[in-house]
Amino acid sequence: MIVCVAVVGHQNNPLYIQSFTEADDALKLHHIVHCSLDVVDERVNNPKKSGPMLNETFLGLLYPIENYKVYGYLTNTKVKFILVTTDLDVKDADVRNFFRRFHAAYVDAVSNPFHVPGKKITSRTFAERVSTIVKSFGFSSAG
Amino acid sequence: MDPATTPLGQMLLDEITPVVMLLSTPSVEQSCLKNGLSFLQTLRPFCSFNNIDVPVRTASDQPYRLHKFKLRLFYASDVRKPDLMVAKEQLKQVITEAGDKMFSDSRSDVPKINHELSSSEHQNTPSWFQFLNKELVRVASFSDHEAFDHPVICLLAVSSKDEQPINRFIDLFNANKLPSLLNDGAMDPKISKHYLLVHDNQDGPTDRASKIFTEMRNAFGTIDCSLLCINSSLDAPIKHQDNPWALYITDASPTPSQDLACFLNIDDINEIKNLMQDLSSKHIIPNMEQKIRVLNQQVSATRKGFKNQIKNLWWRKGKEDGADSLNGPTYNFNSIESQIRVLGDYAFMLRDYELALSNYRLISTDYKIDKAWKRYAGVQEMMGLTYFMLDQSRKEAEYCMENAFTTYLKLGSFGQLNATRCGLWWIEMLKARDEYKEAATVYFRICGEDILHSAVMLEQASYCYLLSKPSMLRKYGFHLVLSGEQYKKCDQIKHAIRTYKSALSVFRGTTWGYINDHVHFHIGQWYASLGMYDVAVKHMMEILACSHQSKTTQELFLGDFLQIVEKNGRTFEVTKLQLPVINISSLKVVFEDYRTFGTPSAVNTKEVSWRSLEEEMLPSFSAAKTNWLELQSKLISKKDIQSNVCVAGEAVNVSFEFKNPLLISIPISGVTLVCKYSASTDEVKSNENESSLEKDDEADLFRNRSNDNSSFLVSEVDFLLGGGETTMIQLSVTPRAEGILEIHGVKWKLSGKIVGFHNFELSLPNRNAGKGRRKTKHLQNEKFKFMVIKSIPKLQGSIHPLPEKAYAGDLRQLVLELRNPSEFPVKNLKMKISHPRFLIIGKQENIRSEFPACLRKKTDSVQCDADSNIMSDTVFLFPEGTSVQGETPLLWPLWFRAAVPGDISLYMSIYYEMVDVSSVIRYRTLRLHYNVQVLPSLDVSFQTSPSQLRLQEFLVRMDIVNKTNSESFQVYQLSSVGHHWEISLLQPPDTIFPSQSLMAGQAISCFFTLKKSRKFSALEDNVSTLPVRSDVRLVPQSSDDLVYDINIAPLINFHHYERLQQEVSYKGDFNAVDFVLISRPFKSNNDPGFSDPPHLMSHHACHFSIASTGPISWLIDGPQTLHHDFSASFCEISLKMHLYNSSGATAFVRIDTLDSAGNGGHNSNINVAQTTTPDNQAGWHDITPANNELKVTSPKFLENQPVKALSLESVSPYIWSGSSSTHLHVEAMSLAEIPLQICVFSPGTYDLSNYVLNWRLPSNGLGDSDETRQHSGKCQGYKHYLTVLQST
Repeated sequence: MIVCVAVVGHQNNPLYIQSFTEADDALKLHHIVHCSLDVVDERVNNPKKSGPMLNETFLGLLYPIENYKVYGYLTNTKVKFILVTTDLDVKDADVRNFFRRFHAAYVDAVSNPFHVPGKKITSRTFAERVSTIVKSFGFSSAG
Repeated sequence: MDPATTPLGQMLLDEITPVVMLLSTPSVEQSCLKNGLSFLQTLRPFCSFNNIDVPVRTASDQPYRLHKFKLRLFYASDVRKPDLMVAKEQLKQVITEAGDKMFSDSRSDVPKINHELSSSEHQNTPSWFQFLNKELVRVASFSDHEAFDHPVICLLAVSSKDEQPINRFIDLFNANKLPSLLNDGAMDPKISKHYLLVHDNQDGPTDRASKIFTEMRNAFGTIDCSLLCINSSLDAPIKHQDNPWALYITDASPTPSQDLACFLNIDDINEIKNLMQDLSSKHIIPNMEQKIRVLNQQVSATRKGFKNQIKNLWWRKGKEDGADSLNGPTYNFNSIESQIRVLGDYAFMLRDYELALSNYRLISTDYKIDKAWKRYAGVQEMMGLTYFMLDQSRKEAEYCMENAFTTYLKLGSFGQLNATRCGLWWIEMLKARDEYKEAATVYFRICGEDILHSAVMLEQASYCYLLSKPSMLRKYGFHLVLSGEQYKKCDQIKHAIRTYKSALSVFRGTTWGYINDHVHFHIGQWYASLGMYDVAVKHMMEILACSHQSKTTQELFLGDFLQIVEKNGRTFEVTKLQLPVINISSLKVVFEDYRTFGTPSAVNTKEVSWRSLEEEMLPSFSAAKTNWLELQSKLISKKDIQSNVCVAGEAVNVSFEFKNPLLISIPISGVTLVCKYSASTDEVKSNENESSLEKDDEADLFRNRSNDNSSFLVSEVDFLLGGGETTMIQLSVTPRAEGILEIHGVKWKLSGKIVGFHNFELSLPNRNAGKGRRKTKHLQNEKFKFMVIKSIPKLQGSIHPLPEKAYAGDLRQLVLELRNPSEFPVKNLKMKISHPRFLIIGKQENIRSEFPACLRKKTDSVQCDADSNIMSDTVFLFPEGTSVQGETPLLWPLWFRAAVPGDISLYMSIYYEMVDVSSVIRYRTLRLHYNVQVLPSLDVSFQTSPSQLRLQEFLVRMDIVNKTNSESFQVYQLSSVGHHWEISLLQPPDTIFPSQSLMAGQAISCFFTLKKSRKFSALEDNVSTLPVRSDVRLVPQSSDDLVYDINIAPLINFHHYERLQQEVSYKGDFNAVDFVLISRPFKSNNDPGFSDPPHLMSHHACHFSIASTGPISWLIDGPQTLHHDFSASFCEISLKMHLYNSSGATAFVRIDTLDSAGNGGHNSNINVAQTTTPDNQAGWHDITPANNELKVTSPKFLENQPVKALSLESVSPYIWSGSSSTHLHVEAMSLAEIPLQICVFSPGTYDLSNYVLNWRLPSNGLGDSDETRQHSGKCQGYKHYLTVLQST
């Protein structure tokens, strides 16, 4: 199950962060997402690893913590997508697919002429779309 | 890098050293205690040797030299596993102390963000970590599974005072006193001993000691005995400059460090030094060497070689079914496994790492097979360390450490201590290789169940993240927060605060609101729990404006904040209170110097628009300046000119927005301005210096200011700000006396508990910088600085009753009321109005006249002159001597007419001068601003077209549409204004308006004729005469109302402005005519929305040119019907064409008659339509004949009606006789007549439109450049039907 998805701007400012749990763990997830940025930075700035996948937007598993797995995705505009999931055996292809759809949703959201770049995404349509994607992710990995 | 120089290397060289077990008699201790030291402490400084240079030969034949060496001394009673509980307590003590210390250190300074990575570990990490880590390692010592803590030698010390010293020596090494390690067989009890006789020189000469020493030598052998004389300094205590003991006595001992070892003179110290050095180089090292060699031989005999290995393997396998306890089988000191381990450890201690490693490897597999996990882990650990010390195979080293660590962890709480130690070593190993990130993860793994322990480890982990390259600041922050949580759980509040504060450096300035709030909130809470409410409040304030949090969280934050504030006792006064948010960009300061504002909305109008309005009224700038300069030199210094001027007794208003970012409502009370008043300018100067000094503590500055408000009055506002609300607050300060008034900021009270300040100036620098020129900072404050001058008169003005809504055309009489509450008179009043089309100034006498009756045409009225002065002059001067003073207001009539629909802003400015010349301000202006919404009412349009029956007669069509929603109007009167034109009805009014009113949405058309006024025909040549006005009443005569006279004020004035407004190009055209429609609301239907229904409405339509089809009008005059006997001859008919030139110049006219037969009938209509000027509607002409006929009908003509209906097909050709083309000149404004003749050949009806009229005006005649005006034209002939009948 996906616990949390987040969009983080290129200045590492949170643009959108949404948890999908019942529990009141927003703070924890904020921390997790925030920390994962360190790993994203490391991945991006480390020339050794970025050689063959220079143009790869999918950053893969960022780090496993306790009972979560954190995946990352970096767009060309240096916007980061973070995915926190409780599924311990997730197929990379699933995550990739998820991020691709998420990216499309994000692009649509920021293409709104009323969206101010660098400001939080408040679009309700985006939120609905994201929750649909998140739900469908749960199905595909379960089935 | 040399591993030995790394922190880990140092630590290993310090910690993994031979242990000397110390056994001493009480009298020895007693002697030593004279120096404030125990015996062990006395010896300890001399246990490490930096240059002993001892040759060592272990298993290999090749000797090597040891330069540095160290011994560890332990009392026999301490050679045991440390008590865990005691150790824990001790650690806790250390942590608490460190917490207190760090806390008091870091209380004042805010943690800086150490983004720059130059700082090394020691600068960043708190120093007590090192000590703590050492303690943690020490707690795990004296375990039975490893041998390096096993005592290598036993040092037995007996004092010379003791009775029977030889026996004492033997007693000391008594089995029941020995540590359990030796007793339970974990280590070899046959430990080598060294006998030491301690002699206290204060007890007497050394005779007895040397005697005993000789006995000892005999008893125990020469080599193993030594004599130590201490306390040689008999009388004076010695002060050691650099006390070697001071380093080792860390506890807070009662004696100061200088007093330590006060009886030990330099000889004693040297003696101790020699003793220890001999002990190590002559006893310990050779002992160990020997043991290594012996063990090595045994090991190689039993375990080395292929045969032994096979045997071992077989033997082990057989043992496999044995006890599978957690710890594996127990090994005696004489078991081969223990021996190998001892061999390894000894080799390690003597730094023969190759030998140690080979033995560790050997034993490690054995332990693994035996499932002796703890021992296995211990060996793995040592292997890792050995690899590290050999500086080879980093991977191996780390693998071994990890292996050991996980194995220890698997043992559960049993191996926890060892796991910690192993982890710490591992971390040090990683740190030595700059692998801080990995080190951090190990720290994370060390965190056990003990909360305090894990808190410390997490904190250390966070520092590792900080030190890693590139530094991972976010993880640093995260782990600090985690660690802070743990600290909090075990009541180490101070540590918790410290970690959170460091974490702040990461989160501050980011937009991660949740995390920031969490950190600030907890810091605030913890500070509060420590009773440091001021700091707590400071942190809590950061999170007050948490609009992103849920409502409950917001309530929690605010509640806690207020609780803390309350606990503090006194009311807080803070400068950075975020609740509510002040929108500083909405800040507006309104003060009145020479400009005064009569209505609130006048304030909001831009100064520029006022300036342009008042331009003509105000004394010219240069003139004013000369006046000013004269006064300035006397009254005010130059500096104060820059500041704003306000008048004593008149309020300075400051308005700005308060915004509540929360979802919960917050009560705000006591919102006031914080001002400073000073009586003279000198005082200001001194105060300025003062204030610049005080700027550090703004709150104090405010506090000082808030008290002295005797010289000014401030308004106070209380309100409740609902969730998400924004409220505009208006505050005022009223100075009472002359001087300087400065507005510093605003002060308010949140929930009645905390007082917030907001300084206006400090938040404005950008704004002022943008304006440029204002270079010095000093000038920024000028905005809020006012020079208060003495009270001068101020007029108050209002217009009543000005409607807020009005229908277009609504005409009203209003009254301007001016009051002067002060006792000083004002003079020289002037007034200007922005929209004269809407508002004009009446005459004083109008004030008493009744409206609208005063507009009625009086029967005996004389043609009064138009108010030419008002039309020409836009500034109205009140009559000389008009002065306003005291109770009686000045009333002045105004006329208002809603000219066009829309929202209209009316601006008025009234200028007046002070009678008192000594004042700084000599004149003032009163500005009034009103908004009027004008709704559409009647839409009136006119069309004129020349009558085809008579020259100089026109048909006027009026279309009226009622555009209101509900109102119905009575169309009362139509007046025409134009040179020698008068209007008359075509139909009786009853037929036009059967219901006498025009309902909402109703449209109606009616027709009038416009005729040349006969009254003024005599004056035709006089072009300068005034326009003639004629009126038509559109209501039945029965009503007793009289006709309104549009020739008197204000209708004439409004008409003038309408003309100006609607003016297009026909200026000076005598043929132009204006229409004024006067209507009234129908009385029966009053819209409740209008409190004051309009009485009279006027609609003006101007500049309808009569000569719209050209300056020439003509008419064919001839018989309509005639009888002729065609059998006799064809018929010749004479016609007359009347021409009229309505232009001001002579026109040249040519008439061409056309004979072509086909050019008749149908086409002509179209031609006419084409030649008429485009502003006439096509098809308009088709109707006119019918109407004309009706109007000019004669009994004779009516009989012929059916004839008219003949179809055009009956038209038969006719020919024009006479000239085919006629030229003539028609003088200006004159008639001409041309005879025409046609011949018809058969009876029938003929359309005599078969001619073309060309006209031309001299183009240079009047020299006017109007392009739109025609200079020549060509017109088709009008239809004129002639019926010729066969006479009988």
